[in-house]
Amino acid sequence: MMNKTKNVVNNICKQIGLIIIALVIATIFLALSGYDPIAVIRGLMESISGDIGGTIRWATPLILAGLAICVTYKAEVFNLGVDGQLIMGACAGTAVALVIPATLPAGIAAPLVIIVSMAAGALYALIPAVLKVYTGTNEVVSTLLFNFIATLFLEFLVTGPLTDKTSGVALNASAIVPKNTWLPRISYLAPSTANIGFYIGLILVVVMGFIFYKTTLGHEIKIVGANRTLAKYAGMNPNRSVFQVMIISGAIAGMIGAIEVFAIQHRLLAGFNPGFGFDGIVVSLLANNNPFGVLFSGLFFGALINGGINMERATDVPSAVTDIVMAIIIIIVAANFAIPRVRGYFRLYRKADNPDTGVKGGKTE
Amino acid sequence: MAYAVEMLNITKTFPGVKANDNVTIRIDQGEIHGLIGENGAGKSTMMNMLYGMFEPDSGTIKLNGQEVRVSSPHTAIRLGIGMVHQHFMLMPNLTVLMNIILGSEPQKRGLIDVAEAKKRINAIMEEYNLPVNLDEKIYQLSVGEKQRVEIIKALYRGAKILILDEPTAVLTPIETDRLLEVLRKLKCQGCTIIFITHKLREVLAITDSVTVMRKGVVTGTRKTKDTSIKELSELMVGRPVDLNVPRKEFNPGDNILELDNISALNSRGLTALRGVSLNVRAGEIVGIAGVEGNGQSELIQVISGMIKPTGGKVLFKGKDITNFSVRKRRLTGMSHIPEDRLKMGLAAKCSIRDNMILNRYFQKPYSRHGVMNNKLLSEFSDKLCKDFEVLTPGSEYAVSTLSGGNMQKVVIGREMETNPNLLIAAQPTRGVDIGAIESIYRRLIAERDNGKAVLLVSAELDEILMLSDRIYVLYEGEFVAEFNRSEADEKKIAVYMTGAER
Repeated sequence: MMNKTKNVVNNICKQIGLIIIALVIATIFLALSGYDPIAVIRGLMESISGDIGGTIRWATPLILAGLAICVTYKAEVFNLGVDGQLIMGACAGTAVALVIPATLPAGIAAPLVIIVSMAAGALYALIPAVLKVYTGTNEVVSTLLFNFIATLFLEFLVTGPLTDKTSGVALNASAIVPKNTWLPRISYLAPSTANIGFYIGLILVVVMGFIFYKTTLGHEIKIVGANRTLAKYAGMNPNRSVFQVMIISGAIAGMIGAIEVFAIQHRLLAGFNPGFGFDGIVVSLLANNNPFGVLFSGLFFGALINGGINMERATDVPSAVTDIVMAIIIIIVAANFAIPRVRGYFRLYRKADNPDTGVKGGKTE
Repeated sequence: MAYAVEMLNITKTFPGVKANDNVTIRIDQGEIHGLIGENGAGKSTMMNMLYGMFEPDSGTIKLNGQEVRVSSPHTAIRLGIGMVHQHFMLMPNLTVLMNIILGSEPQKRGLIDVAEAKKRINAIMEEYNLPVNLDEKIYQLSVGEKQRVEIIKALYRGAKILILDEPTAVLTPIETDRLLEVLRKLKCQGCTIIFITHKLREVLAITDSVTVMRKGVVTGTRKTKDTSIKELSELMVGRPVDLNVPRKEFNPGDNILELDNISALNSRGLTALRGVSLNVRAGEIVGIAGVEGNGQSELIQVISGMIKPTGGKVLFKGKDITNFSVRKRRLTGMSHIPEDRLKMGLAAKCSIRDNMILNRYFQKPYSRHGVMNNKLLSEFSDKLCKDFEVLTPGSEYAVSTLSGGNMQKVVIGREMETNPNLLIAAQPTRGVDIGAIESIYRRLIAERDNGKAVLLVSAELDEILMLSDRIYVLYEGEFVAEFNRSEADEKKIAVYMTGAER
């Protein structure tokens, strides 16, 4: 048990170290671009600490996207289509919200649109899963391409069938959804748009942690991810696991769509999704695909993004600074995965007398 | 005459482990010297120091009486030392020729002189009878051919002292014979060969003298002609080893497994099994002999349910289970030690516990309504580690931290714990040292004596002969012969294995 705690502490320190390295490199970029890095960092810090609500607002979709990514990653399935799935979720949710009677009590209407969004996201994620299982289509490619379909479909909806006919100008948006479908905001963080989605995220973090570490489903996902042949040999059904993780992932993505529409925009906007799906990959990577870690890395990135936006508003520093930090974190995390492999390769030479060195990478056979 | 190689009082410490402690090895000119020991005895460490992979903490290395400092593999090659690693160091996408000359290309006006290179390599291939097609890409070659390329590579660089690290671990029996032929030839031409292995029969067949290591120290050096398998294995393990495990009188019961006219395809869609029938009864070990790749893998996969046969029936305890899933078969009393533990039997990066619980995690009392009782599962796994003598500080460690023998114990522990009616044991002792082999043999015999059925598939004919009550010989997807224990001998079976008779 002592060992475990030590490990966790070790891991956390490592991730924090990564962030610090990324920030240092980012300041070098800033200095090279002619900004005063110290002032920028101070500005960032101030806008973070002064606007908790904004941080929560941005952290919510990032935490959810991180969860959507990490569940598939556990099974070695790569869902790059969280963006597409959340868009489809938002579309379906909005469409339903615009047709149900406005007199329906909010206690029924709001959960209904969330469930519809989740179902739509899950179904949209199921298509690449089916393609993967039955035709061997690489899900990295299919999920990625499905994003484009979803984006264009969204544009079609908001300029065509769902477009807001009441306003005279072309808005590329749907009509405002009825009030009974609106999701509540967190009142003491007003006037920010932080909303109940954050609580949903917190609950989901715990639920996913429970699934991963306490259930047979989680164990199967882990084994399928680690060695698919072993899973088959032990009597599991790896294809079923692929469906399961894609459905869970897509449903969580659909939830993001619902939150963006019903808690924040209150209408379907053409460009409402700034790319939460891909940011989710970074969130999950930094968290080492651990759901509890996702909570913290989601909050971190939420703060960063919100800080960037606020800073851009107050100074002439572009919010792209936060993109640079994120990009550097990706590179460092990726390198952190690569380094042990490279080291493993050299260890092959050094390894004392083990005929089964096939375990670690770096075989050159 | 001076020794070809002397490694005197070598000590090497890695963080936490003393890999070699004051080890002295002397190797005569022009001899084949066997270096044997269990996994982790420090054999490879010694040879890696000779090859300059790293330097000893203390001690000296002498070549032909001259003290040398081998600071890198580069120096080693210059000094005439060549090494063939167990995991080949070849570029799969380059041709054989390019792999051989890589790093020491003959040049002409700044370009690689291919004609000259080919001439030199052809001379080597002819002299030592090592034929390989130079224009083929490495990935197209069989394992045996890849190894030949490695040997040619070393000779091309002018090696006079050749180190072979477990060269036969990956070879089929026929390839092994060819390799031993080549080694004899090399010896005749004046090469000194160091042969690392833990297969004692090969040591007796080919070496002139042997050094035995155990836990980082030399436990004995013998002239091969003055020693025996028994003495060598005792030196290796540190206690007497007897692979001839006593067994109860043969008293088979009812049929447990029956195959009726089974046909199956391999993963490439080619016919692998053509109508095989067999039966395994309670209280007997049935051995499947044969050169690898004659349908053994498919046979096991059909029985365990991983592939569906294209024809025929699988009966288990009299019931037709041809369409049962893998899990259903396991639940009705079938267990399976797979032929390749890392590919099929274990998830190396997961913990020992995660691997141990695979047959149990979904069952009561270990889980209820899909929620696992992690505490109970950890206790379960810790107990199995203890019962099956897995050497590890705890079952939360990753499987990849274990040695090959201990990994195999995890698999065997997991598969035997369910107390199966039928145990399929495929290559159960592959890559496992002799101490562990003995304990695996004991366990298999114990299963048999307790009235269980055991189906043993092995590429080691010795193993089949030593353990089986009945033996089928598999050749090109068919059973070409069946023997009882009393009438089987190596020569008879070998004839059928190679397809000379059917």
